[in-house]
Amino acid sequence: MDLGLRLTAAACLSLSPLAPLTARLAYLQIFKHDNLSVRAAGEFARTAQEATPRAELLDRKGRVLARSIPSWSCFVDKAMVKDPHAFAARLAPLLQIPAAEIERKTRAAQRFAWIKTHMGQAEFSALADARVEGLGLVPAQERVYPNGDLARSVLGLIGTEGRGLAGLELSQDSRLRGRARRLEVIRDGQGRTIYKNLTDAGDEPPALSLTIDRTTQYLAEEALKEGGEKRLFKEGLVAVQDPRNGEILAMAAWPPNPLRNSFVQDAFEPGSTFKVVTALAALESDLVRPDETFSGEAGKWQISPGVTITDHEPEADMTLAQILERSSNIGIAKVIERVGATRFYRLARAFGFGAKTGCPLPGESAGELKPLSDLTRVGLAASSYGYGLAISPLQMVGAYSAIANGGVLWEPKLLLDEKPPVKVRRVASQRAVQDIALMLEGVVEHGTATSARIPGYRVGGKTGTARKIDPLTRKYSSSAYTASFAGFLPASQPRWTILVVLHEPKGAYYGGLVAAPIFSRIGRRLLTLEGIAPDRPHDPALGTAQR
Amino acid sequence: MMSMFMGFDPRRAAKFAGLGLLILFLSWQHVQATRLGYQVESSRKRARQARSRVAGLRLTLDQTLSPSMLAARASSMGMVAAAPESLRVLSSGATDAHPSRPLLWARNVMSLVTPARS
Repeated sequence: MDLGLRLTAAACLSLSPLAPLTARLAYLQIFKHDNLSVRAAGEFARTAQEATPRAELLDRKGRVLARSIPSWSCFVDKAMVKDPHAFAARLAPLLQIPAAEIERKTRAAQRFAWIKTHMGQAEFSALADARVEGLGLVPAQERVYPNGDLARSVLGLIGTEGRGLAGLELSQDSRLRGRARRLEVIRDGQGRTIYKNLTDAGDEPPALSLTIDRTTQYLAEEALKEGGEKRLFKEGLVAVQDPRNGEILAMAAWPPNPLRNSFVQDAFEPGSTFKVVTALAALESDLVRPDETFSGEAGKWQISPGVTITDHEPEADMTLAQILERSSNIGIAKVIERVGATRFYRLARAFGFGAKTGCPLPGESAGELKPLSDLTRVGLAASSYGYGLAISPLQMVGAYSAIANGGVLWEPKLLLDEKPPVKVRRVASQRAVQDIALMLEGVVEHGTATSARIPGYRVGGKTGTARKIDPLTRKYSSSAYTASFAGFLPASQPRWTILVVLHEPKGAYYGGLVAAPIFSRIGRRLLTLEGIAPDRPHDPALGTAQR
Repeated sequence: MMSMFMGFDPRRAAKFAGLGLLILFLSWQHVQATRLGYQVESSRKRARQARSRVAGLRLTLDQTLSPSMLAARASSMGMVAAAPESLRVLSSGATDAHPSRPLLWARNVMSLVTPARS
């Protein structure tokens, strides 16, 4: 036999066992290639998402109100824990959690359980170095509010999933939340990361600036806090607005509650602070002369059988200015009889009462203004001094801003963006509004709001005291009141409109006694901080020592 | 076929050597890529830690400069808030940038002195 043929036969015989292997290899490489390559990639590579930080919330001067910082959470995979007791004992000193608590979580029914969330860098590093089997670490973003509870009713809060639950965190959620980064993670045989390949850079949203001024907000909260901590009232609100453009500078609430913003979500019966609407309606239509007087009926006036309007002090004849200064219900009820329901209703609507303001906070209440057809003589009289209707604090501060700036109603602006302030409408003529503003200065100078005075400065404002409705009897309570004061300063060129509302004050309950001093306190601090020159430098109240 | 075992073919040897070198190079490249991957990931981890530290320091700074913290520290040092009447106008002139604001203010120091705490 030929040597070549024999060698060939020997080679074929010796290689023949490899034929099935070759066939199998060809089958896997050619026919199963896609399926197997995906499985192989899954063994060594996986896609991961990395949360991008939520946008910062800044005040009008760029100071941080809310920020997201990197944090970590750790969890236990119980299937990988052989000895829960040893597992807990090892983790307890690293996490500063009692070992019993970790063991309890580890022994619970479900396979997965969070051990600790919101961990800092130091804890994360310690855990990562410890390499505890069964313990997983997940990067996250933690929302922090460096100023504590400052402006929390405006800012709101976010949930554990990183979505807004209340306040601006909720209403601006889509704007604040970024798109997560996507990464392809290449791992080695032991599961350690070799390399992360960025497949989608995600989207980190820019900071959101608010019109809130951190210092003004603090001053407002500080002024409320003192009374709140002494339990001088059940709930207190202070709003500060720039009457020149409608920008909200502060929204302070006591007690602070990030889940609720009472400025937009709640409505209350304003009481006498609403008298300016009636008075302005009369002046706008020239229905009352400056020197014309209305009888005070010695403090009691039966408007219809069984319905008597009373004043807290018996009054004689009063001009319109005196009606506001003394906050006479009888006087203003007589004025509205001359004004009529239509003019009153039209002006109240022009001020924005009974309609949402457009503020970018969730759950805004429109308040309640009785329809024109329901305004009977008695109902109209009650409305003239702020009963039988409900308004939100934001509507009220906007209305007083309109009086402060000469009659222009601005949309309350809370986001400091490129959009210009929105002028809603002119509510009344400048002449009539200026007359009302002067009358409001008289209220502070020698009326019910003398405790709102600030030596050296012209201040205008109006007090309000309203009985609250008892939820049990559904009648006006004889012991629960809402005290308020709304005003602006300095009256020569108003820079701030300040509204103070105190629900259920204890002891003294008149707006002039409890709310006006808070206004004065905030006003004084603002004037000092801004270095506003006195617009009444020869005020005798300044005293010779200071001049 | 016998000639394959009988003589040395330099061209073929060069081919084998080249192939071997190529395999060695590819292996070295793979090892280096893996090593660099670990290094990059380690650097990223350090950068992440540094960013986290910066964020923590920024938070501390913001908290330290928060109005309530500043007020508490000022109060502990005996400072009180100034009142508008304790400011004094030294010049009645106004700047173009701040028409309503006087050029210079000075504090009436005596009105800021706090009574001694008992």
